[in-house]
Amino acid sequence: MSERILEIKDLRVSFDTYAGEVQAVRGVSLHVDKGEVLAIVGESGCGKSVTAQTVMKLNPMPPARIVSGEIRLGEHDIVAATDKEMQAIRGREVSMIFQDPMTCMNPTMQVGKQIVEAIKLHRKLSPEEAKAEAIRCLKQVNIPNPEERAKQYPHEFSGGMRQRAMIAMALSCDPKLLIADEPTTALDVTIQAQIMDLLAELKDQISTAIILITHDLGVVAGSADRVAVMYAGKVVETGSTQDIFYRNAHPYTQALLKSLPSPDATKREPLVSIPGTPPDLLSPPKGCGFAARCKHCMKICQEEYPPEFTLGEGHTASCWLLHPDCPGAAERGEKNDG
Amino acid sequence: MTAKTGDILVQADGVCKYFKVSGGRVLHAVENVSLTIRRGETLGLVGESGCGKSTLGRTLMGIYAPTKGKLTFDGREMDLHNKKERFNFSKKAQIVFQDPYASLDPRMTVASIIEEGMVIHNMYDDARRRERVLELLETVGLNREHANRFPHEFSGGQRQRIGIARALAIEPEFIVCDEPISALDVSIQAQIINLLHNLQNDLGLTYLFIAHDLNIVKYISDRIAVMYLGSVVELASSAELYDHTLHPYSKALLSAVPIPDPEMEAAKHRQIISGDVPSPINKPKGCAFSSRCPLACDKCRESAPKLQEIRPGHFAACHLVEPEKDDV
Repeated sequence: MSERILEIKDLRVSFDTYAGEVQAVRGVSLHVDKGEVLAIVGESGCGKSVTAQTVMKLNPMPPARIVSGEIRLGEHDIVAATDKEMQAIRGREVSMIFQDPMTCMNPTMQVGKQIVEAIKLHRKLSPEEAKAEAIRCLKQVNIPNPEERAKQYPHEFSGGMRQRAMIAMALSCDPKLLIADEPTTALDVTIQAQIMDLLAELKDQISTAIILITHDLGVVAGSADRVAVMYAGKVVETGSTQDIFYRNAHPYTQALLKSLPSPDATKREPLVSIPGTPPDLLSPPKGCGFAARCKHCMKICQEEYPPEFTLGEGHTASCWLLHPDCPGAAERGEKNDG
Repeated sequence: MTAKTGDILVQADGVCKYFKVSGGRVLHAVENVSLTIRRGETLGLVGESGCGKSTLGRTLMGIYAPTKGKLTFDGREMDLHNKKERFNFSKKAQIVFQDPYASLDPRMTVASIIEEGMVIHNMYDDARRRERVLELLETVGLNREHANRFPHEFSGGQRQRIGIARALAIEPEFIVCDEPISALDVSIQAQIINLLHNLQNDLGLTYLFIAHDLNIVKYISDRIAVMYLGSVVELASSAELYDHTLHPYSKALLSAVPIPDPEMEAAKHRQIISGDVPSPINKPKGCAFSSRCPLACDKCRESAPKLQEIRPGHFAACHLVEPEKDDV
């Protein structure tokens, strides 16, 4: 078995707001192994970003609060880590790239200097060496004329270039884990293709594990090894990319895939839409979060959250339909096998 | 009006829209675009950000007056510099905006947002207007009780429905949908697409559908226009564009779209174009795409190609594709 980089067990994160406690993450368990890409998909507000930010403890606490759970990153216990320990972990062990590179870089500082700053914080290098290292990082992400570009400010970079510079900065200290939070959502498809190719290339070169947070199932299909589907603060289904796309078992995963127009069809049949909206996590439903929108909803779905059923090696889903006592479960099982 | 002209609802002839920017420079947002939109059809408009697709959409529905060129609506030439004509035009053409959060006045109730257009155009009396607001809410899948609420009480998908109700209120013939779903979640996108589609069937609307999600555009459009740096580079029916892509930019754009299917995604040949879109202030000489085109030759860098019919109903602007002459 390959080296385990990150292990999250039953993580619960809440935000204390004046309207009450928002249970953003309600018991998430995940793991990432060395050199693999785990995609977390889900709608806005499903807790995917909060989960990832908690790994780096980027959520201001308060209002955020880790209610319970465990996060192990290599030998570090993140939940127990102090602010000072976190400063050593961030950037060195795990780093993050964000959706909007414009708001994540200092607009008044040269791009090269910002990378040098990160390098100096974690590695004992002389100023000259750090500068040379920053330029090497920019070259690694295929930025032309890195020497010139290092002296420019973020506003002189285009959107795609800025995202490349962000990746260079994130990888400057060889982290074990890179969290990419919607890295291409703000970019055009042609630039998105460039950035996704770059990430795949870098992953092979430096063997970092990547958590890719996205809502674009197309991006997932092209780049992820494993997928975790989140809904209303919980992981509802997880498995290999093949499992999720071809042998999916959770009605939410199925509905999500069906709501996309199929790539080879222009026929004017209506898209399968999911009625309603996700539940309010101020007062999360007692049973399955998806019950209110699910066309297979049964009585038990509204009363009790389903346990996790194992469908294959590393493929699990939480849905009462998979329970052996559920009518029709056997048929569905056969269909999944075939 | 003869049936012949009635067939074409919107016609643009050499429409240009320039903006003056600081330093006396001129931004060529839309350059010499000629196209037609037939009554009852959906024309998809795709391209990267900054290619002028929103500007073209707004020019075609009269928010901007074209700098040059001629815009014909329903067989009548529009003089959009004339205030009165512009006002009358706004009764026939409406827009649904991208951002359902920014496009609804937070201090107006849903009813007054939807009613506003009818008040401005002096349609109906008060009682009938109230009634119509409630009807419209139901048409777009909301409840009558929602009329007195404020926009902040709604989710993104519901707000987009309010935006659609507002556009429908004055019974327009032509609606520009400017990225109406790109701010929404996948599961909500399908709801809005189905709603727009049903409304088109019921009310006989004509859409210009602007988006950058090519899978959605392919699904909803009858014909698709691909824009690059202010110009239409390819125009064809939806299936034709995908099956017989001609322009190198369209090829690159289509191959960059990720397919939500791992096996198809792995099998497809991706053609990545390097670099970024040049600035519309200093456009490259010759073909606008020549600076990124893998096939560019000297001719492309010298003179700009014209949009010409390569196959029946399939237009492309590229020196490297020649019209099929011996087509039977």
